[in-house]
Amino acid sequence: MTRLTIGQYYPADSPLHRLDPRVKLLAAIAYITVLIFVTNFYGFGIAVLFLAVVIRASRVPARFIFRGLRAILFILSFAALINLLLTPGENVLFSYAFIQVTTEGIHRAALMALRLVLLITGSSLLTLTTSPIQLTDGIESLLKPLRLPAHDIAMMMTIALRMIPTLSEELGKIMKAQKARGVDLETGGPLKRIKNIIPILVPLFVSSFKRADELATAMEARCYRGGKGRTKLKPLGFTGRDALAGGIIVVFCVGLVLTRFI
Amino acid sequence: MIRSENLHFSYLHTDEGLPPQPALAGINLSVGKGDFVVIAGRNGSGKSTLARHINALLSPSEGTLWVNGIDTKDETQLWEIRKTAGMVFQNPDNQIVAATIEEDVAFGPENLGVPSEEIRTRVDSALAAVKMSEYANAAPHHLSGGQKQRAAIASVLAMRPSVIVFDESTSMLDPQGRREVLETIDGLRRTGITIILITHSMEEAALADRLIVMDRGKIVLEDTPRAVFRQANALTKLGLAVPQAAALAQALRERGVPVSDGILSAEDLLADEAVQKAALKYASANHPVPKVTAPLPSQPHPLLEIRNLTHIYNAGAAYEKKAVDGISLTIGKGETVGIIGHTGSGKSTLIQHFNALLTPTSGQVLIDGEDIHADKKKLKTLRQRVGMLFQYPEHQLFESDVYRDVAFGPTRMGLSDEEIKTRVVKALTIVGLGEDVYNKSPFALSGGQKRRAAIAGVLAMQPEILVLDEPAAGLDPQGREGTFSQITKMREELGLTVIIISHNMDDIARLCGRVIAVSQGKIIADGTPAEVFSQNRILEESGLDIPQVTRVMARLAESNPAIPTGIFTVEDAANVLSGGGEGPL
Repeated sequence: MTRLTIGQYYPADSPLHRLDPRVKLLAAIAYITVLIFVTNFYGFGIAVLFLAVVIRASRVPARFIFRGLRAILFILSFAALINLLLTPGENVLFSYAFIQVTTEGIHRAALMALRLVLLITGSSLLTLTTSPIQLTDGIESLLKPLRLPAHDIAMMMTIALRMIPTLSEELGKIMKAQKARGVDLETGGPLKRIKNIIPILVPLFVSSFKRADELATAMEARCYRGGKGRTKLKPLGFTGRDALAGGIIVVFCVGLVLTRFI
Repeated sequence: MIRSENLHFSYLHTDEGLPPQPALAGINLSVGKGDFVVIAGRNGSGKSTLARHINALLSPSEGTLWVNGIDTKDETQLWEIRKTAGMVFQNPDNQIVAATIEEDVAFGPENLGVPSEEIRTRVDSALAAVKMSEYANAAPHHLSGGQKQRAAIASVLAMRPSVIVFDESTSMLDPQGRREVLETIDGLRRTGITIILITHSMEEAALADRLIVMDRGKIVLEDTPRAVFRQANALTKLGLAVPQAAALAQALRERGVPVSDGILSAEDLLADEAVQKAALKYASANHPVPKVTAPLPSQPHPLLEIRNLTHIYNAGAAYEKKAVDGISLTIGKGETVGIIGHTGSGKSTLIQHFNALLTPTSGQVLIDGEDIHADKKKLKTLRQRVGMLFQYPEHQLFESDVYRDVAFGPTRMGLSDEEIKTRVVKALTIVGLGEDVYNKSPFALSGGQKRRAAIAGVLAMQPEILVLDEPAAGLDPQGREGTFSQITKMREELGLTVIIISHNMDDIARLCGRVIAVSQGKIIADGTPAEVFSQNRILEESGLDIPQVTRVMARLAESNPAIPTGIFTVEDAANVLSGGGEGPL
């Protein structure tokens, strides 16, 4: 559980860190969408170059950025392999039974792998440069015009982020206690394993409800009454720098889509 | 500042149709601006219920409570009341809302609609007041209990309250964290904030200007701590314990040493003329300079043997941590061993090796001469011989009724139904739970009963060694006593070898025939309580508490070397200082 890297934030002082989270969120969405429309190596070339510049500007060490890739390495190679071996085409380089390697196959596999790598790297850049709180603030602000209970969703996310480490620690303790009482988590068939989870899950739920209850009381004691009339320690502010970044993203995205027609 | 008249309150939901028990029955309270008041009482005395009224989390069923002149029943003033009277709760983990400390401190002012720039100044000054500025951007789960609780205090401070209510805010902390929080409270009272501290620790009560003792929803004693401590017997009846220093003063007075009235702490005792004179008298009476004698009896039958055990977390990684560093020790059959050490000393890691919850990085663990890791097939049977009870064991209860929960362990062992039944009944009887609870849900029991059910769950597996980690954590003095007498009973009736981990040195000194002190993954002292506690310098240097009485005697011995230093009971200390006795040696 400690290796959980979802939403991992790398604190640093960079132009990217200072950007309005809303700009970063929208940029990430635009970037992901546009990648789908890229079909040739010119487009990917531009995307790789752009991403390299952005990573440089983020001051996040490269190893943090590529750590996210390790998790998808298996899916990545599997998908690439399927594409490589099963794409029909005219220029067959090698074939055995139903397997055939074609130039089209190599082409598709490479594009596919590149697209996935770009997707993951780009989106992990968002979480690496945006603190969880800024991220939730950003989501809250973007959801507001959509008539969704934006504040409540953001508060739920904040509390979830706060509680995940606490609960995972608690889970470890309960597992140890039940192991000492003879629960065997390592062996047995699937049915037995599910049964063995009950002594772990029930105490975890009980304690989570108790925590939720106490946290709610503590929030009330500190005058929490929903999003109404709330102010923020760090209000979101849209500055010239954000406008500039937005502009760059728009130009980049349009350019990327245009590469289809080369 | 706070005033109540004839305050009554009853909880609506009660067990199975019993008439609702009043939690508060006519409280008349008056707390002035800048006062430091401690409200003490056993569990269920109504002290927390009263605390929740001050913050308007509960509303009185009868009577009135005013905070700064505002009636707490006035719902339009709810936020004003909660802003004026802030509250710090018991569990540090369950009151921090945000994922960073700074954001959490900002939470209150944000709710109040304070402008952003002012929130910034408030957050910074609140964090500075609790000395947590450097942790502004830290995540709560990376902090110690004491640090988390200080952050929680900052979060209340940022709302600029005039009163802060601490609802048992120190009860879940280790001695270090407790000291940190008490120092912070002391700093706050100097700034003129009114403080109400709910606790059942009499050491903490000694710090107050005024001590209020509650029982069954009523205020039964109210005076300065000095005056209240004089009524030691009344306090015991109310389920509270007098601090050791006060008890020693009382014992000395009874033996004719004219110790002045109203001793609260070890420092008071040391400053007392009569005590100093008594020490001199003992020293001049030509008692031989004491040698720490009476070593441990040799162990006839080593049951648990640890050989050169080392445990390294995340071995090989850049952030690897050596938690246990080459420890060797032997525990004989029937011993009662206390393991002491501050948080992070490696004692928890050490005990988790006793039943193979952790595997040693190097070294061996032997039970009855057999290496528990030598044969994987035997691991399960060997593990059953060591019962393990972690802190707050009631968190492991999960079955639909108490009987089934206790039967869980034995069932896993594959025993016959009759055997299981005998064991369950025996275990529940030893912990003092009768047939009336067999079919109750474990979650419907009281806190103390839950803990006993959890202990029974491990006892029913009939281990030979029982390891208990802070068995009395979170219990009031009466609950503590109960737990300890059960442990003694288990040892005597079942012939169990008991290993206890605790921060409470008084408890360790009283229960254990042998004490092992651990610091930085190594054993720094091992012997009888007298031997170990006489090395008070070593213990204090490694951040360990020692019993108040031991500290007093050790300080006296500095100027009068004839005074024995390994004393840890009030009785022995009183004997030495009243001139008659030889002490325990």
